[in-house]
Amino acid sequence: MDDLTEMLKGTLEGCVLEIIGSEETYGYAITRQLNELGFADVIEGTVYTILLRLERNGLVQVTKRPSGVGPPRKFYALNDAGREELAKFWAKWRYLSSRINRLKEGGR
Amino acid sequence: MNFWEKVTGSDLTRDWKAFGARVEALPDDYREAWDQIVAHLFPYGDFTGRNLTPILDSALGLLEVSVADGQSVHEVLGDDIQGFCTALAGGAGARTHRDRWREQLNRNVARKLSRLGG
Repeated sequence: MDDLTEMLKGTLEGCVLEIIGSEETYGYAITRQLNELGFADVIEGTVYTILLRLERNGLVQVTKRPSGVGPPRKFYALNDAGREELAKFWAKWRYLSSRINRLKEGGR
Repeated sequence: MNFWEKVTGSDLTRDWKAFGARVEALPDDYREAWDQIVAHLFPYGDFTGRNLTPILDSALGLLEVSVADGQSVHEVLGDDIQGFCTALAGGAGARTHRDRWREQLNRNVARKLSRLGG
């Protein structure tokens, strides 16, 4: 689906948190996972800036690991603050999607 | 950074040399993207540009890892390198020249207003 970027902007951070929450992972893998999910427009640069923000806000634990090729990779895992933030994201999402659905169904 | 480095900027020269060597190792299209990143990040620099070093280091790190993954630079950065740089600099808490000008302007206006009022 095209032109999802604007709508995705606010929720992408939550999506990345969810992906990191299920297992420790790195930038490239996160981007691939989002692409496979159907968010074809998401590029690594975007995911990377989100990861930097999560790191700065103290929501993730970062480990540098050597990779087979090239420089070492940064692996990300959620810490307690990150898990709390993820729970908040889903609560907000439930609220938002229920309201929008209600609107679509004619305000019932 | 010790006092000597702070005064002479020798640490900056060293950092830039190290960046240069790493950039040399990148493919052509990546090098081009790097030049654009540097150009777009420049306005976020403080007086010496020292605050940009960690930002540039992380951007270069991303490029290096992406080359190793065999991705094209377009897959990694898309068309909006400026937007990427804004997010990068914003994420690192860098302040721009514009922010400082704006603050200065606000201060001057406030001072003039208070003089009028007094």
